Amino acid sequence: MKRIAVVVATLLLVGSAFAAKKVQITFWHAFGGGRTAFIQRMVEDFNYTHPNIEVKAEYKGSYRDTLNAAILAARQGSAPHIVQIFEVGSQLALDSGIFVPFEDYVPASLRFQLDDYIKPVANYYRIGGKFNSIPWNSSNPILYYNKTIFKKAGLDPENPPKTFGEVLKACDKIISSGAAPKCITWPLHSWFVEQWVAEQGALLANNENGRAARATDVYINSEAMKRIMTWWKEMYDKGYYAYSGKPEDWDGANQLFVSQQAAMEITSTSDVTFHQNAAFENGYELGTGFLPVPDGIERNGTVVGGASLWLTKDHPREELEAAVTFLLWFTNTENMVRWHKGTGYFPVLNTSVKVLEWERWFDRQPAYRAAFDQLLQSKANRATQGALIGPFPEIRSIIEDAVQSIFQGTPVDKALDQADAKADKALRDYNTSVGR
Amino acid sequence: METHSAYKSRWLPWVLLAPTLVILVVFLYWPTIETFRLSLFRVAFLGLRKTFVGLENYREIFTNPEYVRIFTQTAVFAVLVVFFSMAVGLMLSVLANQKVTGWRFYRLMLIWPYALSPAVAGVIFLFLFNPQSGIVNFFLGKLFGIRPDWLTEPALAMGVLVLAAVWKNVGYNVVFYLAALQNLPGEILEAALIDGATPWQRFWRVTFPLLSPMTLFLLVINTIYAFFEAFPFVDLLTKGGPNGATNILIFNIYRDGFEFFKTGLAAAQSVVLFVAVVVLTIVQLRFGERRVHYGG
Repeated sequence: MKRIAVVVATLLLVGSAFAAKKVQITFWHAFGGGRTAFIQRMVEDFNYTHPNIEVKAEYKGSYRDTLNAAILAARQGSAPHIVQIFEVGSQLALDSGIFVPFEDYVPASLRFQLDDYIKPVANYYRIGGKFNSIPWNSSNPILYYNKTIFKKAGLDPENPPKTFGEVLKACDKIISSGAAPKCITWPLHSWFVEQWVAEQGALLANNENGRAARATDVYINSEAMKRIMTWWKEMYDKGYYAYSGKPEDWDGANQLFVSQQAAMEITSTSDVTFHQNAAFENGYELGTGFLPVPDGIERNGTVVGGASLWLTKDHPREELEAAVTFLLWFTNTENMVRWHKGTGYFPVLNTSVKVLEWERWFDRQPAYRAAFDQLLQSKANRATQGALIGPFPEIRSIIEDAVQSIFQGTPVDKALDQADAKADKALRDYNTSVGR
Repeated sequence: METHSAYKSRWLPWVLLAPTLVILVVFLYWPTIETFRLSLFRVAFLGLRKTFVGLENYREIFTNPEYVRIFTQTAVFAVLVVFFSMAVGLMLSVLANQKVTGWRFYRLMLIWPYALSPAVAGVIFLFLFNPQSGIVNFFLGKLFGIRPDWLTEPALAMGVLVLAAVWKNVGYNVVFYLAALQNLPGEILEAALIDGATPWQRFWRVTFPLLSPMTLFLLVINTIYAFFEAFPFVDLLTKGGPNGATNILIFNIYRDGFEFFKTGLAAAQSVVLFVAVVVLTIVQLRFGERRVHYGG
């Protein structure tokens, strides 16, 4: 009897020892609201199916807040294992030296998953031939338009404008017919400028967009830029383009479109779900189309926007492996399908796309179609691969300032020359500060 | 050394002071010293990498026209905010000091905006002055047929910003001016009344000079407010735009420090702001003390 008790006690001890040996993984992300809950549900599923690993997901505020928090935590030696970092923070993250290349930790048996990324995504996040981080939420800008207003203005509701010139023509009709007080809106954000540069096959920085070697020169006064700004200025002067007056105001643009003050909006594909619901609630018909591009150029395609997940260094091997296990699970075929349906972000794996096609998802949800076709039709070149620039956040404000000064009447050439000089200085200062 | 008889032990006062001192050192003195130190470095990634550069950061902010412009804008903003929040505060408190029907209600309503957080106030103004769907343009459009792009025009954007900052702080000034008005010696005002002074003379010759200690106090407080607490308004309303026209120092420090990772430059700007406000406060107190009439 006593012996049995000893055995039971030993088993209990061993059992509790195993229970206590759960590997703890922290994961910081930048998704608030409904997406926090969505991520939480996925994480719980993982923890349930992986009894030896316990992942804790925490919402850390905006992309910038999350990155700052991660750097500060790393300084104090308490970095989370996994951090979500926005695409333009990639060079910054590499330079910070607090991360390890994700690809080095992928076990051979799961490497096939790395070959499954759709091309534009792999192109963006494979830096120096290697996945330093795992692509997660990816998006593009597309055109959303109000079919009800299009009909009122006598425009073909099934044929949205595809070029800058066509947008102008459509706007002539929408405004002159009084179908809507403003024609089109998009956030005054450098992201759209970057996309239009890529569509024209132009680069944003030297050394092949900073992909062949570290960028040392930013191209803000290029022909491609001038084309964009001249058109934008004309749209603004004619009262066709509307924005809230605040740079980077995504909600302000959505508000203008949803309240039917503007007939069209250019914004991220990650808002498809939001816009479908809003159209239903406000009683108008929603259409989506490709991002309009300058006339007479060949469409090169868009750059992947969004964020990826990075692995921080200085953790025991065991923890890093557990983190990789989680990341590969979190972005596997079925979870990418789930993520896409729940948020509108792209399914970034070829196999996920196949699943969705087999389910006839894109036929049933035509609004997602434009978003996805546009991405898949992107040509793989340095332009659409996207620029790697360390001080990208600062370059973005410089571009946004230039747009506003053009609105106020500064000639396009002059505004862009000034912005170019400022951006080059910012890049020089940054490169010096990281010792290059 | 003579010690106070209340304390038997030499250590007891220190023990009692300790919590306060610890908080001051950890949250005030140490960060201040650290800011001074960081301002002499070129810092990458919030301090992951540092190189000593001496006064280079200061040279940059005093010679770069961008920063000079920010200083000018900060000064314009501060002067406007301080002047209007005090003038309007004084005017409203004189009105609210009258015993008219419903005075309790008026006083409550005047103080109310102060109880709102600046973030909430900022969002309210963002909605009010939205060019397409804001209520201000709705009425302006109905009445005069104009719909200004409030946040796209540099002067208008600055105006909206000043308005928001003033609106938020007027309640504070009303509270203090009201308290001061109620404590004014009634006999002096009565004497002036008997001598046949007009209401205008009574206010400027009697009331206003008697309020001068309060005015000096509020001047210092409002100056500090204008320099340090305008951040949420800029961040929520304009992000420093259009084209940097509403970029003021406190916002730029945040941006350089936490968005652009130029921590050394941000630290140098903090030091400049710190010194400017200290100097300004000393000047106000020195200069003010001579003119203030403390009554009694």
